[in-house]
Amino acid sequence: MDFVDIIFVVFALIVVVSAFIVVFSRSIIRSAFSLLFTFFGVAGLYVLLNADFLAVTQVLIYVGGILILILFGVMLTTNVVSVEIKTGTLQTVPAAVIVAVLSGTIAGIFWFTEWHTAPAREGPTTKALGTLFMTDYLLPFEIASILLLVALIGAAMIARHERGTEGGR
Amino acid sequence: MSVTGSDLLGILAVGIVSVTALIAMLAGVFLKNSARLVMWLGLAGMAGAFAAAWGTYPSAGTAFGGMILAGGYASFFGMLILCAGILTFLLASDYLRKEGVEYPEFYVMVLFAVSGMMLMSAAADLIIVFLGLEIMSVSLYVLAGFMRRREKSIEASLKYFLLGAFATGFLLYGIALIYGTMGTTDLAGIALRFASAPPPSLFWVGAGLLLGGFAFKVGAVPFHMWVPDVYEGSPTPVSGIMSTGGKAAAFAAFLLVFVKSLGGGGAKVQTLLAIFAALSMVTGAVIAIAQKNLKRMLAYSSIAHAGYMLTGLAAANQLGESGVLYYLVAYTFMNIGTFGVISLIEQAEEKRLEFSDYAGLGLRQPFLGIVMSIFLFSLAGIPPLAGFFGKYYVFAAAVDAHMTWLAIVGVLASVVSVYYYLRVVVFMYFHEGPEGAEVISVPLLGSVALLLSAAGVVGIGVFPSSILSLTGWFF
Amino acid sequence: MESIQAILNNPYVFAALMALAPLLWILPYALFAIWFERKVSAHMQDRLGPMRTGGWHGWSQSIADLVKLLLKEDLIPAKSKHGLFMLAPYVVFVGSYAAYAVIPFTSAYVGSEINVGIFYFVAVSSLVVVGILMGAWSSNNKWSLFGAMRSAAQIVSYEIPGTLAILAVVMVVGSLSLQDIVRAQEGWFWNWFVFGKFPFLFIAFLIYFLCSLAEVNRTPFDIPEAESELVAGYHTEYSGMRFAMFYLAEYANMFAVSAVAVTLFFGGWQSPFGTFLSGPAWGVFWFLSKGMGFIFLQMWLRWTLPRLRVDQLMYVNWKVLMPFAFVNIIFVGLWMMIAQ
Repeated sequence: MDFVDIIFVVFALIVVVSAFIVVFSRSIIRSAFSLLFTFFGVAGLYVLLNADFLAVTQVLIYVGGILILILFGVMLTTNVVSVEIKTGTLQTVPAAVIVAVLSGTIAGIFWFTEWHTAPAREGPTTKALGTLFMTDYLLPFEIASILLLVALIGAAMIARHERGTEGGR
Repeated sequence: MSVTGSDLLGILAVGIVSVTALIAMLAGVFLKNSARLVMWLGLAGMAGAFAAAWGTYPSAGTAFGGMILAGGYASFFGMLILCAGILTFLLASDYLRKEGVEYPEFYVMVLFAVSGMMLMSAAADLIIVFLGLEIMSVSLYVLAGFMRRREKSIEASLKYFLLGAFATGFLLYGIALIYGTMGTTDLAGIALRFASAPPPSLFWVGAGLLLGGFAFKVGAVPFHMWVPDVYEGSPTPVSGIMSTGGKAAAFAAFLLVFVKSLGGGGAKVQTLLAIFAALSMVTGAVIAIAQKNLKRMLAYSSIAHAGYMLTGLAAANQLGESGVLYYLVAYTFMNIGTFGVISLIEQAEEKRLEFSDYAGLGLRQPFLGIVMSIFLFSLAGIPPLAGFFGKYYVFAAAVDAHMTWLAIVGVLASVVSVYYYLRVVVFMYFHEGPEGAEVISVPLLGSVALLLSAAGVVGIGVFPSSILSLTGWFF
Repeated sequence: MESIQAILNNPYVFAALMALAPLLWILPYALFAIWFERKVSAHMQDRLGPMRTGGWHGWSQSIADLVKLLLKEDLIPAKSKHGLFMLAPYVVFVGSYAAYAVIPFTSAYVGSEINVGIFYFVAVSSLVVVGILMGAWSSNNKWSLFGAMRSAAQIVSYEIPGTLAILAVVMVVGSLSLQDIVRAQEGWFWNWFVFGKFPFLFIAFLIYFLCSLAEVNRTPFDIPEAESELVAGYHTEYSGMRFAMFYLAEYANMFAVSAVAVTLFFGGWQSPFGTFLSGPAWGVFWFLSKGMGFIFLQMWLRWTLPRLRVDQLMYVNWKVLMPFAFVNIIFVGLWMMIAQ
């Protein structure tokens, strides 16, 4: 086992352990903070896969955006409903059965599938990604921007003040 | 690769709709009381897009390096979805005013939803399927909750969003697994790989997840749970476009992925689709009997109709495929028409949605009575209306594909469905209305929409070959 | 001697040393900056500031403060979430310190020469927000939570025009690596990007500088710790060493954003006079003095300008900086296209 393998194991452990805490912690805020480590671990795995741009994007979007959104959501709602939001377990037995079957199937298939592996590509990926976005994947790129715009307008519409009431326009 | 004129021509129709949506959005921001203006702008844009789709129809091919279909199939679905969008606009304007929520954002979101549906139905790559689906779904989540003062509307939006996000997760995971095993997201490329070597079992897991995602979007059993609450709670014109344009787009992509790209996916997928179809037909038809609320009844009926259409897909022969396309056209006109009549009769605060509210309507208001009867007869599948031929084609296809049992289930289900469709007609003509019931004034735009839909239902019913000749050469 | 050489040649040991090197600068700098800030504020208010500790102009005041903080009791509120409460200051400091990995102190030294450098810098600074939210939530104190909410909203919002301004420079250079960006500004000081493609990169600089002030919660954007309303914002409940950690992170962050401003717009470690007084050693000198210039500018602004209101803060970001940043990018793109 060389040094890179050790680093891989460390990152993988971070991801798995923190993901367990996310799922099993009773306090939703603890889950949210634990998610931080999951995201970072995944970013680390991306780095090991030579996906430098993807790794940084992962940190920027998940830690800088989504995690903070989740934290905001939790912090702004807990006191409104005056009960502390806790995650609990319901219907443990059926859930366990389904989880066991599903994960067994997936694990089995992962194990027996012959994966197409490509040789590791050294060097920076940013430029190639940018070029692809402007050529082969131009259409999805533009459509994605429309999708984001729709989500933005939709969120603003849902959150707007009711017109004709206090604070409305 | 650089963008050429033919690329742009290929996405002309959906491009016009998207640009119209952007302009409409800006108009809504910068002009005061611009709802009417935005509506006319959107109608003009959709009419232009319809013309563009019609113009590019003969030249079938792909654009943007095989990312998206152009002409032919894409134009056909483009025109269908644009019809749904135009009818929704015509019906929505008076409905929104009646409910006191006539804001330009409604039209902007419908335009975005329409462009998402068009993209999805033209997809030649799984990435475009996903993006189109998401544009459509996000717009519809918002539209479902457009009437924020109504608890049911909020409930509809929230349920649709939570379950829809879950279904999207299914779909995306399926796409990821397919990409992992096939090495491409291009549908033509997947078809090539699929034909050359049997795919690994992981591929089937991915395909199954994809199937689940699509089944959710078309509202087929066992992924139908959201349909009744969402159709009931959403503003009525939104239920209309959700059940027609949304369903058409989802079926278009369904067909592209499962029939065209995976070559029917072999017997496995066919059997699975047949089971979904049978369950949907039976569940929808049986539960619809018990409904008192008309929108809810139509929601269950739409589950049943998803089952009929799935029958055509399960048959996976040429008749079945063009039958599904025909069915989608017929269903679009008749269902939007029905929701249109409901939206006219409905009063603020969700009043007048029960069967009993239709008592005596046919005599009191002959126009509404007649068009509503046409739509309901068509939904029930009574010749010579469009609904009959739709069912006829898909059942005949099932028989051709040696799935006679499925055709029998379908015919039984439609016999059951006659009961609840005709019950409305019975209420309209054979029950006495309450004393001094007010006569609803039918607005001009609304009656234009109803007339157009009724003409569509009768027209393609009498001349079914008009649609079949349009779609015949796709397969 | 040879064994030491061998250990140093081990790539992992070398990497670890490189990773620790910025501490050599941050710790003395922070002590100096704290003293300096007190002196600057005092002189701006026509006072003298600390004069007694250590003799000449109270030069050892920060050291005395540090010793005091180290000796203080480490208070942990009884109703706080202990684990998170203790972790938070370190998360904040890790966030600010991680940013130093890509800052090129000189032509010969940069912690990690990765080709997504500036993008990494933008991404990793968001860790600070999580740390702040963590500390504030676990403190179980309403002032803390208010401060953290304001801070997070502010940092997340101002990241966007700031990143767009950075993008303008990246478009000109065609690389995300900070060393490449510095090398693109070779020569005399008029080759610095702040004067390049005039006035678009100058506008980009102004936008970036304003956003960086907001990101480090400095006046006029210091509403997260507005002491007249919120006691001390998100670190109200902290004391002793953990408080010192927050303080250190804040000053480390100030220098980090200044360093990026210097790198992007003021030639980084380049000498202002072409090849005169250049070289790796002089590079450190130029880089640090330019950076300290910005630190002084930040202090100057802090003790000159009043604090913005929350709505003004959002107005400035979304309705002023954002449109300017977008239009600016379009013009830079046009310029690059015509120049080709």
